Amino acid sequence: MLGALALSGCGEKEGGKAKFALVTTGVASFWDICKKGGEDAAAALGVEVEVLMPSSGDDQKSKLEDLLAKGVDGIAVAAIDPVNQAGLFDEVAENAILITMDTDAPASKRKVYVGMDNYEAGWMCGELVKEALPDGGEVALFIGRLEQDNAKRRRQGVIDCLLGRDKDASRYDAPGQPQVGPKYTVLATITDQFDRAKGKANVEDMLTKHEGIDALVGLFAYNPPLILEALKQANRLGEVKVVGFDEDDVTLQGIEEGTVYGTVVQDPYEYGNRSIRILHALSQGDKSVIPEGGFINIEARQIRRDNVAAFRGDLNSKLGK
Amino acid sequence: MKKIKGILITLILVYVATALLGENFLGGYNQGKLLERTGLYGLLGIGVAFVIIGGGIDLSIGSVVCLVGCGVPWLVMRQGWSPTSAVAMAMLVSLGIGLWHGLLITKLRLQPFVVTLCGLLIYRGATRGMAEDQSQGFGGEHEGFRALGTEAIAVTDKFGIPFPFVIMVGVAVVAWIFLNKTIWGRYLFALGNNEEAARLSGIDTDRMVILSYVVCSMLAALGGLLFILNGNSAQPSDFGNFYELYAIAAAVLGGCSLRGGEGTVVGVVIGTAVMQLLKNMINLVDWLKSHMEFLIVGVVLLVAVMADEVLKRRVAKRR
Repeated sequence: MLGALALSGCGEKEGGKAKFALVTTGVASFWDICKKGGEDAAAALGVEVEVLMPSSGDDQKSKLEDLLAKGVDGIAVAAIDPVNQAGLFDEVAENAILITMDTDAPASKRKVYVGMDNYEAGWMCGELVKEALPDGGEVALFIGRLEQDNAKRRRQGVIDCLLGRDKDASRYDAPGQPQVGPKYTVLATITDQFDRAKGKANVEDMLTKHEGIDALVGLFAYNPPLILEALKQANRLGEVKVVGFDEDDVTLQGIEEGTVYGTVVQDPYEYGNRSIRILHALSQGDKSVIPEGGFINIEARQIRRDNVAAFRGDLNSKLGK
Repeated sequence: MKKIKGILITLILVYVATALLGENFLGGYNQGKLLERTGLYGLLGIGVAFVIIGGGIDLSIGSVVCLVGCGVPWLVMRQGWSPTSAVAMAMLVSLGIGLWHGLLITKLRLQPFVVTLCGLLIYRGATRGMAEDQSQGFGGEHEGFRALGTEAIAVTDKFGIPFPFVIMVGVAVVAWIFLNKTIWGRYLFALGNNEEAARLSGIDTDRMVILSYVVCSMLAALGGLLFILNGNSAQPSDFGNFYELYAIAAAVLGGCSLRGGEGTVVGVVIGTAVMQLLKNMINLVDWLKSHMEFLIVGVVLLVAVMADEVLKRRVAKRR
């Protein structure tokens, strides 16, 4: 029934303009930037874009179904639950051009994935720690949870970089054991299951247990601000190095003030912009935009004191602040 | 004293064990942090103890923490309210929530479990809608206001008594006086023991039930306020998740019977301290792995409750 509806709608372009959609994993400022990227691309190409921000996996399903019913030429989706949604994605892929962005659904029939390699991004985060502690030292990692793929890879990238290993994204060190390298020791990876009070308590307990700890690394967007809060209350701001991930405003402010050494940021603007350009090319029959392996890497960037002001200004202008 | 013997022994055992096995456990910084956490979570425990003593249950505590924890910074930072008016609004709303729960339970005869379970969903949902699912906090501003949750009365250069703990002790003293030294306290215990008998003996039981839910919601709001002042970061989708269960566990550990009519404030505070101590222990003792936290906390709680029950029976037999 749904397929039939979608088929009847598909390809009927009102006024000749191609119609595309971006579907996010949720509502966040991250996705506002992505939306802007998509809209800018659509304006440049003379196509229509609709950006939908679902509140949950179920909601993402019904939003995708609604898009099929309405009839669009192509959809770029950030998969909330790639394994269980594979069937849904295949249904979408049969009726429109489907690509994934930000989080992939490798088992589905999507044409291409536009996103970041979290292992590489973790490695870049490790490089920042090395710069902050050129003489080596003890480091603890804080992260929301380790169950999801991007978290595992991100953490492993940091550890492998600090321990001076060769790059191997398939490696996995179980948490709980300290990882000791020639110069750097990763004491522990502590999760908080998204409980903020617990996240802050974890930092405090690490400061208690390892009084001489040299650096604290926060790997989910909210971890660096919690680290800063705990250090501030312990009167140890500036004494213990902090390296972060993502672009929380408190983290960026910390970089400007010198309490955070640096952070690794993704490029959601480019996710949105590139996705629409690829969908447009594919709808014109141009398959050359699909690289071998089906993965388009939008590289992460390191933000330090020297480029934080420019990055923050650019971010705010994209967000219309 | 007899009622809190079991939990007090547990507290001492866990404390001594962590001091022996953990690193730097006895340092001033860590002791201060333990008091701070006991203060924050203790407020929720004392609140739910009122409801449990009266024979009810409140599952909406975590969502009230979320509503206030996200709502106050949202009002101050996004809507330009003064901290004072935002706090007043939070207290007013939580009073309304408690009143609403109490009225539904007494006048419409709905079950407390259902009423507060719906509350759990509604207040979190409303917060997510209001804050548009965006993280809330004070940025680097309102340091003076935030001091209420972050500062301490300095004792040595490393150790201080944190304000949240001082506030919780103040609340505990008032709660203790209310429960043990006033006629309403006795009404609440009577109500929890046997509602029918209490009503027949002339107690306005409805009023006592409503009061207990109001106290619980308002203390959850006070807790939520101090949590956000302390941590400065709240995400509507997960802030305060499961905190009602931590509060209920602390209350039960502290001697509250889920059948109602039993419980002590001191016990609840000690129960809270045990919970926080266990979490601290898992982070400080090398061979305890953090992913085993729930397992360890669950087992210790169960053993403590079992030991307490055995102890009570022995005492009862000897009489």
